[in-house]
Amino acid sequence: MRGNGRLGRKRPPKYSAAALAWKGLRGQSWPRVWRDCDLKRSYDAVVIGGGVHGLATAYYLARNHGMTDVAVLDKAYLGSGGSGRNTAIVRSNYLTPEGVAFYDRSVHLYEQMAVELNINVMFSQRGHLTLAHSDASLRTMHWRAEVNKLGGVNSSVIGPDEIKKECPSLDTSDHPRYPIQGALYHPPGGVVRHDAVVWGYARAADHMGVEMHQKTEVTDILCEGGDGPDGKGAGGRVTGVRTNRGDISTPIVINCTAGWASLISTMAGVRLPITTHPLQAAVTEPVKMFLPTVVVSGSLHVYVSQTDRGELVFGASVDPYANYSVRGSLEFTEGLAGHVLELMPGVSRMRILRQWSGLCDMTPDYSPVMGHTPVEGFLVDVGWGTYGFKAAPVSGEQIAEAAATGTTPKLIEAFALSRFDDGELVGEKGAASVGH
Amino acid sequence: MTMSRQGVQPTEVIDRAAKLRFRWNGKRFSGFEGDTIASALAAAGEHIFSRSMKYHRPRGILTADYWDPNLMVQVGDDPNVRAGHRLLESGMDVRSQNAWPSLNRDIKAANSLLGRFLTAGFYYKTFMRPQWLWPTYERVLATFAPGGKIDLDTPHAYHDKRYTHPDVVVAGAGPAGISAALAASSAGASVLLVSHEHAVGGHLRYSSDAADQAALTELRAALDASDVEVLTDSTVTGRYEDNWLGIVQRNHPIAVERLIKARAKTLVAAPGLIERPYVFEGNDRPGVITPGAARRLINLWGVKPGERAVVFSANADGDAAVADLERVGTEIAAVIDGRTGGSVSSTAGSSRAVEAVMVNGTNGAERIDADLLVVAAGWTAPTSLLNMAGDRPIYDPTAARFFPSDPPSNVLATGGLAGDADLDGLRQHGAATGRLAAARAAAVRHRLQSRTARALPVDGDEPAWAPDERAPLGRDPHPELYRADTHGMVDMSEDISSKDLVAAAHEGYDSVELAKRYTTATMGPSQGKLETVNTVAAIAEARGETISEVGTTVWRPPYAPLTLGALAGRMFEPVRVSSIQPWHEANNVSVIQAGQWLRPDHYGDPAAEVRNVRDNVGLIDVTPLGKLDLRGPDVPKLLSLLYVNKWMKLGVGRVRYGMMCAEDGVVLDDGVTGRLGEDHYMMSTTSSGAGGVWEWVENWLQTERPDWQVHVTPVTTAYASINVAGPKSRELMSRVCEDADLDAEAFPYMTVRQATVAGVEDCFMWRIGFTGELSFELHVPAGHGLHVWEALMDAGSDLGVGPFGLEGQRIMRLEKGHFIVGQDTDGLTLGPSTGLWSLIKLDKDDFAGKPELAWAADRSLPMVVAIQPDDPDVVPEEAAQIVRGNTNEILGRITSSRYSPTLNRSICLGQVEPDLAAGGTKLTVLLESGERIGATVIDHHAHFDPAGERLRG
Amino acid sequence: MLLVPCPNCGPRNSTDLRYGGESHARPDPNTASPAEWRAYLYLRDNPAGWLRENWYCASGCRRWFSVERNTATNEFRDPPLPGDKRGGAA
Repeated sequence: MRGNGRLGRKRPPKYSAAALAWKGLRGQSWPRVWRDCDLKRSYDAVVIGGGVHGLATAYYLARNHGMTDVAVLDKAYLGSGGSGRNTAIVRSNYLTPEGVAFYDRSVHLYEQMAVELNINVMFSQRGHLTLAHSDASLRTMHWRAEVNKLGGVNSSVIGPDEIKKECPSLDTSDHPRYPIQGALYHPPGGVVRHDAVVWGYARAADHMGVEMHQKTEVTDILCEGGDGPDGKGAGGRVTGVRTNRGDISTPIVINCTAGWASLISTMAGVRLPITTHPLQAAVTEPVKMFLPTVVVSGSLHVYVSQTDRGELVFGASVDPYANYSVRGSLEFTEGLAGHVLELMPGVSRMRILRQWSGLCDMTPDYSPVMGHTPVEGFLVDVGWGTYGFKAAPVSGEQIAEAAATGTTPKLIEAFALSRFDDGELVGEKGAASVGH
Repeated sequence: MTMSRQGVQPTEVIDRAAKLRFRWNGKRFSGFEGDTIASALAAAGEHIFSRSMKYHRPRGILTADYWDPNLMVQVGDDPNVRAGHRLLESGMDVRSQNAWPSLNRDIKAANSLLGRFLTAGFYYKTFMRPQWLWPTYERVLATFAPGGKIDLDTPHAYHDKRYTHPDVVVAGAGPAGISAALAASSAGASVLLVSHEHAVGGHLRYSSDAADQAALTELRAALDASDVEVLTDSTVTGRYEDNWLGIVQRNHPIAVERLIKARAKTLVAAPGLIERPYVFEGNDRPGVITPGAARRLINLWGVKPGERAVVFSANADGDAAVADLERVGTEIAAVIDGRTGGSVSSTAGSSRAVEAVMVNGTNGAERIDADLLVVAAGWTAPTSLLNMAGDRPIYDPTAARFFPSDPPSNVLATGGLAGDADLDGLRQHGAATGRLAAARAAAVRHRLQSRTARALPVDGDEPAWAPDERAPLGRDPHPELYRADTHGMVDMSEDISSKDLVAAAHEGYDSVELAKRYTTATMGPSQGKLETVNTVAAIAEARGETISEVGTTVWRPPYAPLTLGALAGRMFEPVRVSSIQPWHEANNVSVIQAGQWLRPDHYGDPAAEVRNVRDNVGLIDVTPLGKLDLRGPDVPKLLSLLYVNKWMKLGVGRVRYGMMCAEDGVVLDDGVTGRLGEDHYMMSTTSSGAGGVWEWVENWLQTERPDWQVHVTPVTTAYASINVAGPKSRELMSRVCEDADLDAEAFPYMTVRQATVAGVEDCFMWRIGFTGELSFELHVPAGHGLHVWEALMDAGSDLGVGPFGLEGQRIMRLEKGHFIVGQDTDGLTLGPSTGLWSLIKLDKDDFAGKPELAWAADRSLPMVVAIQPDDPDVVPEEAAQIVRGNTNEILGRITSSRYSPTLNRSICLGQVEPDLAAGGTKLTVLLESGERIGATVIDHHAHFDPAGERLRG
Repeated sequence: MLLVPCPNCGPRNSTDLRYGGESHARPDPNTASPAEWRAYLYLRDNPAGWLRENWYCASGCRRWFSVERNTATNEFRDPPLPGDKRGGAA
């Protein structure tokens, strides 16, 4: 039974300055952002993973397709994985036409998000610079700029003088070991408050009747008719999931996990082209604002932006060896510091306050795996590497459509799992290896 | 609160004879050597040091140590300096950070009035509309960013790094830590003792107790007499895999800050305990301090913290503070005992100072006038290093703090982290921990040595892993004091109150992580060392659960912040140049970065360089070209396996071009390989591929074909490589080459010869040419590169010999239609896309990528083609897209383009859809300017001399 | 910094080595079906636990070698560790 989500519940109060003032004056408290629900024995669809992807998927299932009998399951708390560990950069200046179209849609959805979800996600479109330190990388920047322009995305190559104007703290002289030769400038790129995106989708989905279940770990996926043991594998179909809180029957299971995507998919007998690597990040103590744009250097393996709180947030490339540990390493911060100081020698006295890492599911072609699998009813939205956050809205929208209609929307055709059977990989490597 | 310097204290660390002058917000101040910035200011009567982040409330001393969130200041160009820890230096320019226009009058303090609206996370609920105004809102919010200012001209000063491999590292130099270090050292271990403070001793330093002072003297003497290496003002910031430790040394004599990397065989964590603030109304008013702050001010720096004090004490530290305060003449208005149910509910006064305290003691509720409130409410166990080692500490409600659960066996806790005892008990536990650490370190040392094949042999069997037989420390009962019956600040640096946390929990942000993220509690400079447990307590209270049920958050590295400068160190970035570089530099070279290499790009006029090669003869330094010396009977099999073409019948003295594909069929590298002798081959790779191909070769040999006899030696930098190209190259070579017949029949195209060149023996040269001209590629022992280059220049002066650079070579190779792997191909370009179908020999039994290349015949693949714009004067950019007519549909792209000085027209290589690859196909190229131009695919890749007559000449 | 047990050089910092990924057998290129070959190219077990994998001692002996590592705890199975599972340095 698919109910109309909008009628499911009484609408909770909207967020606004007036409501803040009213509640402040009266000393009233706000209702819960999402309900605490009892876990039912059956749902129309189960989404595994309560991060931005899973929550966006649930939101769009309800909003666009009227599917509100949906449970989002997370083994920890909402946003505990990559959603809360990324560096919150949003951009659409990809290399392939498929990538550009897809991420352009995502940027568009981010632009509307604050109003649509009625929560301030603080999308700061402050501009995004991808620096080139060699003629080869400058050539790739030009390539990206041309493909971007054809896809209607605002993106161009600028020289050191313009870079200095956009971002005075960068050393654009010829003193560094690898001088800055140019940059791909992408004005719509920027940063978002990542946690607010999680909470916003959760709250909006909750309002339509979707249930969020934290501390609910999926331990198996129940299948029948497949060619593997227990009815799993190709040719079979999903019948439910087993969790630490009991079994749930459902015809649709959507794997929206990161870090654990291959383990979850294996539960349905689906093998993925994924290896899991930690991606580390770090933040400094705050200082007054001085870095107006997001700065990325692929050659130096670093990306950096300054938060509204004044901290510099950094990231780099994934750790070199596959593993599921998120403890972080000293060599990461050492390398990071060296590269940041190559770009901005003036920040030598800033102090690293905290480092952390999250798990990334890397695919061979730096593109995600999305859509239906050989197991009917089991969909994946995985393999997001280091760029999953920026794709969350569009991924949720498209996967919801795939799940609700049984089709494969055009925007995600190129990202099908079957491309690895056919050898038809996506050519995004040049832009995404250290692209944030 | 009135603070002032008192008479000499027996334990003080200041040198009253050494007066230091400094500035505070522009005004002149002075202090003594041994003062911290904060103690000097406090001694001078200052009591406001900063303003809070959101409400801009005045903030005074809280803990008077490194973790004090209220003592963040700017010193010169150094932001966020901890004034509670940083030692005063003469001439310091100290400024407050988060106040405008001044610390005393701060406009944003008006925000306090809006407190009820500015609840934690309020910004998520507003500023959504109108959307276009958000950037403006954002700029305003950003002005609330706390912290100091950076000066973008700050130089990256000297920072070195140190590596050390001690048996035992002891983190923390209180009595337990010192005892551990001494015992480990006595047991024969090499020991590094790391003291966060400026001197060892931990809490003994600021104790006025005679027994404590005697013990401190004794421990220091023992350390002096031992082999223990002591680092002061240094912190173990992180424990990483296999006890890899980051240590920041802040008092290095030369480096501003130094990172020490220690591979400890065992780590002893003895960081002591951190005083936990108590949450009640007005707990952030200047004048509310911890007992540690009071005792440090009095005993270390001779500063009286106030005139009339209320002490809320729930432990011995609070009691000791009473004694110390009385000794310096602070009137004790009341002692409220937290162990017997006494409590503090609020302070009263102005925003700038405590004037009275509301207590609930033995006399019931009363208001007591005081300018100082000392609150001894308990401790937080800084379990960071244990967390980093994977431990999840467990809360003990009877002792009101967390304790280690099950750290890995090469990480041992002692001191307050492990439990409570009197001084002797702490020393005994420390010593037992040190002995255990030494015994386990000995086992690890033995193992490391015995597992290293080429290390010195190690005697005997590996010592058994020593069992932990330490008598555990006790746990003193302590009341659970987190929040009084009023609400107050939980996070001073973020302005987050217990009310905010409770509201957040009720709103659904009811796990610690969610609440932290929503409210930003614990995100400030001490990263929760003061705030975390109170945060957990507030959430627990809101949920009606215990602290154990709510659990704690994971403490992440670093334990203490460290500068980017220290982490970066000296920033060594190697530069590679050939032995001929001095000549290039003396001859107006313009260099290009190619990975780590600096290569000659041109010498002023690349077009002229091209013409000179086409007309006369030119030299190019191609030293970075990858070179692998391959020897052994199975080399032909190896070449056949790695290249797509055939190699079994290459004769001695012959050279062949080969293309390598990866197992997915994608072009990996290309180059020529020559057979120098019966079992001796030289493989060349692209310059950028040199390292990767070497590993690729080793991988195949070692993992797939370990039975093959091939020895691989990388010789890229063992030879300087010079390509001599042009119609007069044979004439030039004949003048310098003494023992080889250079005649076209004797030394034809695609052959290799060994020769003596310009008197240099053991050179080899092959007749190949990327430029399309008659050419000789010379490889001379690297040390003789410059000599041979100069000899060629001298010998050919009458032939018009000149240098040419990479740019000239690129033009000429493009004229010849040679593709460059990685430029004209990309990460998805399969072998056949290069147009070299005939090179791929699918009848070979096996070679890398064979199945994909076989199946590629049935696939629709983009093709590399040569393209000429219809307008010969227009050079499309490398990256210009090839589109369908006036649409935006992408059909390919230009991968290389130049203006050809030989043909006087623009020439290109590009990748296009397969149905556009035939010669004569008309294309539309979209220039960066937006203009669309016509272009035509030509029949073959070579724009110039397609028959190859010149290079065979 | 992980210590990787090189059979020749002994325990070395992981930054001295190049990671070679999961060990897996190469199918016969003459008989492999596209599905088998592409499984070899792209599909990985990626367990959160014990994994046989390859390393290249790039800054040391230049040998490729294969070891078992637990990807959840980063301990190496060979050589086995005395004491408790997360203990020693090698």
